[in-house]
Amino acid sequence: MIKGMLKLALAATALLTISAVSVAQAKDTIVWWDFLGGGDGVRMKALIDEFNKEHADSVEIQATTLDWGTPFYTKVQTSTAVGQGPDIMTYHESRIPLGISTGSLSVITPDEMKASGIQASDFEPANWKKAQDDKGNQYAIPLDIHSIILYYNKTLLKNAGLLGDDGKPKGLDGVANWDAALAKLTANGVVGLSVPTADGATMWRIFYTLLNQQDGVFLNKDGKFLDGDNLDKATTAITEMNKWVKSGWTPAQTEYPASIALFTSGKAAFHINGVWEVPTMVDLQKKGQLFDWGAIQIPTLYAHPATWADSHSFAIPNRVGNLVDPAKRKLVLDTIHWFNVHSLSWAGGGHIPAYKPVRDSEDFKNLKPNSDYAGLAATAVFDPVSTLAGVASPVYDAAGNYIMPAMNGDMAPADAATQMRDDLQGQVK
Amino acid sequence: MILKNKRSEYLAAAVLMAPFIIIYGVLFVYPTIKMVQISFTDAPLIGDGKFNGIDNFVRLWKDRLFATSIWDTFYFVILSVIPSAVLGLIIALGVNRLKGWVQSVVLACFFLPYILPVSVVFRIWSWMFDKDFGIAQYPISLFTGGQHISIFRTIPLFMPAVASVTVWWLVGFNVLLFIAGLRNISTEIYEAASLDGAGRWTKFSQITWPLIWPVTVLVLTIQLILQLKIFDQVYLFANGGRTDATIVMVQYIYKQAFQSNHGGLGAAASLCLFLIIIIFSVLQFQLLRTRDSK
Repeated sequence: MIKGMLKLALAATALLTISAVSVAQAKDTIVWWDFLGGGDGVRMKALIDEFNKEHADSVEIQATTLDWGTPFYTKVQTSTAVGQGPDIMTYHESRIPLGISTGSLSVITPDEMKASGIQASDFEPANWKKAQDDKGNQYAIPLDIHSIILYYNKTLLKNAGLLGDDGKPKGLDGVANWDAALAKLTANGVVGLSVPTADGATMWRIFYTLLNQQDGVFLNKDGKFLDGDNLDKATTAITEMNKWVKSGWTPAQTEYPASIALFTSGKAAFHINGVWEVPTMVDLQKKGQLFDWGAIQIPTLYAHPATWADSHSFAIPNRVGNLVDPAKRKLVLDTIHWFNVHSLSWAGGGHIPAYKPVRDSEDFKNLKPNSDYAGLAATAVFDPVSTLAGVASPVYDAAGNYIMPAMNGDMAPADAATQMRDDLQGQVK
Repeated sequence: MILKNKRSEYLAAAVLMAPFIIIYGVLFVYPTIKMVQISFTDAPLIGDGKFNGIDNFVRLWKDRLFATSIWDTFYFVILSVIPSAVLGLIIALGVNRLKGWVQSVVLACFFLPYILPVSVVFRIWSWMFDKDFGIAQYPISLFTGGQHISIFRTIPLFMPAVASVTVWWLVGFNVLLFIAGLRNISTEIYEAASLDGAGRWTKFSQITWPLIWPVTVLVLTIQLILQLKIFDQVYLFANGGRTDATIVMVQYIYKQAFQSNHGGLGAAASLCLFLIIIIFSVLQFQLLRTRDSK
């Protein structure tokens, strides 16, 4: 009797196992790693759910979110070196040079991209090339362009006569006009501009924007930092940033969350920060806790428009001894293309879609304020191509060590530029 | 028969010790040997490098930032180790005089910060000291004539501030150790001293202090080793700011090995820290022990 039961149980188990295996075989899985937290994380999760629903009987993405910055890239580096890791991962374009040097990234061939409908002409050239090495090998496909923008309080600007009929600020281009606007807006307990002045990363983004507006080169082709007259241009940029603080237009040593609070509480007319804070403003306004606001590209203070930018992109890890097989690679690239085609909802996070057809669509044009600043993509400048540059890199650290104290008046701008140059040059092997 | 028994005893001993020896070997001895080996190569973070002699150590010797990190580490140790021991003893003496549930509640209050993770400690204090909205700015502005000060972005204030936060965070553990030590002192000794007419100060200096000394040595040694390895708080509070001005040794190792992919250099710096910790903790322990035996 017991024996019979046992047989039955065994048979049932075997049957279940077989059916489970066959179901699993019918459906492909893609192991996915990203570093997207906060609002970005929520949006990406929704997109992944949409993808999984649409491909319910063919593909399933199994996503894991890891810590942003150095921990993420260390984990990618250590796991790929021993043949572990995901099939697909998010990657900052600015970080790709370091990824190539550590051998963590796998080259995506033109034939593979063509087979999945991915083509260079759908992206901004600078954005596309940032994911290549010096030989033109492609290591990643961009998803978005994210940058810094100028947030503004419409009421305060209107009172100061700085708001045009189209509801956008007017007369901000050129150093003299910009300074005059800040001076005018700084009155009655309100400051002209709030910036996370205690945050090195923001310092870097503003500095790099102002440097490139003067055609300054941070790192030249010979591997020299701030070579020749670029040092003077750097000094000019830092001096201008320091002027905002020195003149009382921008509060010194403001922490990141406090700088946002200064703007959202109406104590600052302008705010410079990343596009990723757009959802913060949108959500506050939805709750009826925010005034009429807008966001535009950073004004052109010098020769021509330019804005610092980085890009979230997708890459395939180079898992040593356990490479992603060709069939899976095809699937991964199809998936990447799907995410680009569906990147409109990703733009809800403030990001500008890297994929031009989405950016040119009517739906995106109706998405405010994103479409008001999306024009910056055409003149976006990406971080220098170097293993020392990119998010959470020595260049970012240098901005905290030199530009931050200079902006807050603890170091002379010229000294800051020189010391930053020498420090980074000293780290070149 | 006796021989056989002995052999089986050895076998049993070996079997019982094996798990520890294997784990200790794999998780401590092997990595330590490997670290020493890597410190003489130009290895990246992952994978092997070429042997380059004492290049890494020469580079460390010449690196101003490494010198800064050693100085800052010792500065932090001075600011945190003795204050946290002294404060721990004072609080323990106070708590020890309380009775019953009051004692438990007060002890819990002092111990509570100790169970918080460092990230929470960082959030609490960075918000309290926030330059624009922090509650601590009210008392600060009394001294500065209404001016707000960014404590963690003002370099001379950075280490004292982080050390104070650390003392607040970790003092509960010292209090616990001291209370255990105080409870070990027999009340009869105090009674005898009272009969002889000893005052409060005499009792403390002649009875409590000498008898609590071994616990003090333990607390100081634990704190010294812990604070030489300081990383989290300094990293979190300095993040985004002038990190190089307040860099500590473990932070330097992190920067070289993980951020800049210089595994060899990172290992060399780790070896230096390892030696510093061994030398100083042994030195301190011996020094304090000899005083004890006098």
